[in-house]
Amino acid sequence: MNIADARERRGRRLAGAMALQLTLLVPALASEPWAERTQALGATTEMPTGTLSPAALDELTRTGQALFEANFTTLDGVGRPEATQAIDPTRRKHPRQQAFFRTAGPDAGSCAACHNQPASGGAGDFVANVFASEGFESADFDSLDPQFSSERGTNHLFGAGLVELLAREMSRELQSRRNEALAKARASRETVRLSLTAKGIDFGHISAEPDGSVNLDELDGVDTDLVIRPFTQKGVMTSLRQFTVNALNHHHGMQADERFGARWTGSDDFDGDGKTGEITAADVSALVAWQATLPAPARVVPEIEGWADAAARGEANFEQFGCTICHRPALPLESLSFADPGPYDLAGTLNDGQVAARAIYDIALLEWADGLPRDADGRVLVPLYGDLKRHVMTDSQIDALGNELLSQRFVDRNIFQTAELWGVGSTQPYGHRNDFSSLDEIILAHGGNARQARDAYEAAAKNDRSDVIAFLKTLVIVP
Amino acid sequence: MKRLHFLAAMAAIWLTATGHDAAAQTAFTADVPILHEEAASAGIDQSYTGGWEFFVGGGAASFDCNGDRLPDLLIAGGSGPAKFYVNESKTAGPLAFMPFDPGLQAADLTGVLGAYPLDIDNDRHVDLVLLRLGRNLVLKGGADCQFEKANRSFAIDGGRAWSTAMSAIWEKGKKFPTIAIGNYVDRSAPGTPFGTCEPNQLLRSRPGEAPDYSDVLTLEPGHCALSVLFTDWNRTGQPDLRITNDRQYYRGGEEQLWKMIEGRPPRLYSSSQGWQRLTIWGMGIAETDFDADGLPEYALTSMGDTKLQKLDQEAGEDRPTYRDIAFERGATAHRPYAGGDSKPSTGWHSKFADINNDTRTDLFIAKGNVQAMPDFASFDPDNLLLGGFDEMFHEKGMEAGIALDTRGRGAIIEDFNMDGMLDLLVVNREHPASLFRNLGAATDWGHRPLGNWVKIELDNGKINPSAVGALISVRTGTRTQTRRIQVGGGHASGQAGFTHVGLGVSERATIRVQWPDGEWSHPYRVFANQHVRIIRGEANARYWYPVAQ
Repeated sequence: MNIADARERRGRRLAGAMALQLTLLVPALASEPWAERTQALGATTEMPTGTLSPAALDELTRTGQALFEANFTTLDGVGRPEATQAIDPTRRKHPRQQAFFRTAGPDAGSCAACHNQPASGGAGDFVANVFASEGFESADFDSLDPQFSSERGTNHLFGAGLVELLAREMSRELQSRRNEALAKARASRETVRLSLTAKGIDFGHISAEPDGSVNLDELDGVDTDLVIRPFTQKGVMTSLRQFTVNALNHHHGMQADERFGARWTGSDDFDGDGKTGEITAADVSALVAWQATLPAPARVVPEIEGWADAAARGEANFEQFGCTICHRPALPLESLSFADPGPYDLAGTLNDGQVAARAIYDIALLEWADGLPRDADGRVLVPLYGDLKRHVMTDSQIDALGNELLSQRFVDRNIFQTAELWGVGSTQPYGHRNDFSSLDEIILAHGGNARQARDAYEAAAKNDRSDVIAFLKTLVIVP
Repeated sequence: MKRLHFLAAMAAIWLTATGHDAAAQTAFTADVPILHEEAASAGIDQSYTGGWEFFVGGGAASFDCNGDRLPDLLIAGGSGPAKFYVNESKTAGPLAFMPFDPGLQAADLTGVLGAYPLDIDNDRHVDLVLLRLGRNLVLKGGADCQFEKANRSFAIDGGRAWSTAMSAIWEKGKKFPTIAIGNYVDRSAPGTPFGTCEPNQLLRSRPGEAPDYSDVLTLEPGHCALSVLFTDWNRTGQPDLRITNDRQYYRGGEEQLWKMIEGRPPRLYSSSQGWQRLTIWGMGIAETDFDADGLPEYALTSMGDTKLQKLDQEAGEDRPTYRDIAFERGATAHRPYAGGDSKPSTGWHSKFADINNDTRTDLFIAKGNVQAMPDFASFDPDNLLLGGFDEMFHEKGMEAGIALDTRGRGAIIEDFNMDGMLDLLVVNREHPASLFRNLGAATDWGHRPLGNWVKIELDNGKINPSAVGALISVRTGTRTQTRRIQVGGGHASGQAGFTHVGLGVSERATIRVQWPDGEWSHPYRVFANQHVRIIRGEANARYWYPVAQ
């Protein structure tokens, strides 16, 4: 991939988005050109359905980009004076005056305010860290003390559609394995213990009893419902749609009807800011479409003498040290059809059972998808350098990644999902708190399940370690 | 202050009399479940029939008798034989039942008014207590839905009374349950039936390796009970026995609460202890705990107003004083909501449940004229009172599709097709039973699923394996919901199996269990939309799955 080409495409997309916004502004220009509200809100008047044509997908994603980059205002409904940041709609005990609040949120005017490195949809610097808390008890913390929240860096979203598709296929594979164990146990009238693997990743074992119950004690790195939740540092969010609905509330106080509306809360204005229907399901769809179609990060070797050779050696070292046990170079993907709403979200985030028809975004239609490698069976090899699995990241000697005090959504404090390394060359600093300034430091911070690979890296010759850095820096986001 | 109370009471009476439901004033925005009647296609064909003795009763029991965890059924027939059905429903599919022969004589299954399931002998097969006109029967459950009479082996005489109610609890340290039997009019008394209520009975098993109920305690006075329920009303861990009585036949009677005393006969709470005299046509008891404070509320069905009782501020740990909050919560359900008949309605079975999975407690009431009582509504549809986010109940029976012209009696609210949405069986007098499948909420393209849910099965070990008396606490966000595992209440109808809890938009929940002996479990972390098995002593919950279709 050529960086100049990518920049040109990015320019075209931005120009398109601006054109859309200008188009959308026409009615407002006629009456109040100074209107301080987001024109793209409500621009998608109906939920998209069926397989979208390239033109329809382009229009939807442009609206999604406009929403992602919009600075929401009080006229849009920014702020949540009577609601907390919690994923489950939760009332605040006392209304808050300020629209924004750096710690507990709302803490950003727009999605792109944090997701901007190296471009919109990207990662965030340390200054853009989020303070994740459940938002149930002590929802109003104004301290950075980890007893109240877990400080996290902002992940990039490039290639996120492929990640979600991988997760869905893996969930289906794991649940099929569970069904297989149950069928065998019922047929044999004996306990059946099967290994759980998906796309070659080991998720432990499941034991099925003849009575239809399953013992989940031996699961490893996956939730008990065998749904792969690929998003967030912790790997606890199922879909772009779920994360979008969460983040809109948490970071902006923009509440999506599909979770905070009257159906589930009894109120059209649950956050008490005087605005009803702040985010429609179609708005969410537009945001999801844009994120899901962001190009996958690429591999670009700087045209600097020696870098290509160093990167090649580093890639070999990366495997030899054992890093690829978790940072899998690629996972195979059967289908590039991204359905939204998806199959694994539960009530509170629209899923495919809650709508008349899904929309299908065919990622194969996108130009950037042409460059994705495929295997002999025609499957796309998604080069994510991850395994979509959670691992213990600390031990008694190496505990730098054990700074958090709170578990999140049933996941213990020192367990995190393997960071996908595609794009890592564009998203400095590193670590779940974004507080490691170099790749060398974050590698040496790996403990727990990654300790052996980390030790191999530490024990390697200086040049060998340097080559690994050269390799990792070729994994970049090309907007 | 007294004058203010008087004025408020008068206003309440006026509003009630003029049909001003407080609930009608506010909007209901949550899902209304569409309950599709499909008894005939599901293979259920049973009517509750008979003369005066079968004006009351008409119950059913749901339980799993073949080990597949799907709720099977027994439906009383009154003068006709009770019928057994095995559940063959596909997951989330149409309801399907097949009649089966439990291996009993037809004569044993006639005269049945109601039934309650429980595992009396701790063998992990559900047994059944059949309440009959005459000798009650205890059926010991076996494999593959086979039952055998166990009156002799359990030393239960069964009596000769007109039995209409039952409840059971494992008392502290006891191997086998203590069973309370509620009786109605004494048919052997000379003269009119008025003022001739039969005493009730308390059966405590003797110590030993097998149930032995040869000692029977008489609970006098009896006031023509129609529902009894062991309930831990004051969160002491010592359930007492609440009885709702039919004022139609008693003289000087009232509602009753018996204090259960370990190893001694129960003692009635008196007015000096705060128990206030209440006389209603008590038909059914339902228990819930709206705010999960451990102090339950009760719905008492009657002719006219349904009572919704909450422990009063004047109450104490040993002072059971209640106030009626039915009006303020919009739950009086005192007259038909459809059909135009303005006469008072007649309530029977009542049950709290979350029928639309929105985390708010709903209330179902089976309704129907006793027979042809002219002063009470003739067309008297069953109530579906959905709990709203405004803390009020909203009548949605018509919209849900249950406003049928039948005379409801007993009922079962259960997830018959294991899709996490509660279905409904209503036993009707002189009319085939109604079986409603919960389709979810109506949309312009079909039906969409309701909110999230979790269903929980407890395993308490060798004694009281199904954990009767346990309290399940389910935490989602800042909200706690509780469910008590009980045998009893309702109207002649009981159920055993998974306990259902609606979770709304929560995708996970933390469950704690207070086991029947009072010990609290550690928290169990579970994901939504799962059948959960919690086995005492195990670190993690298990999930259960129906047979893949």
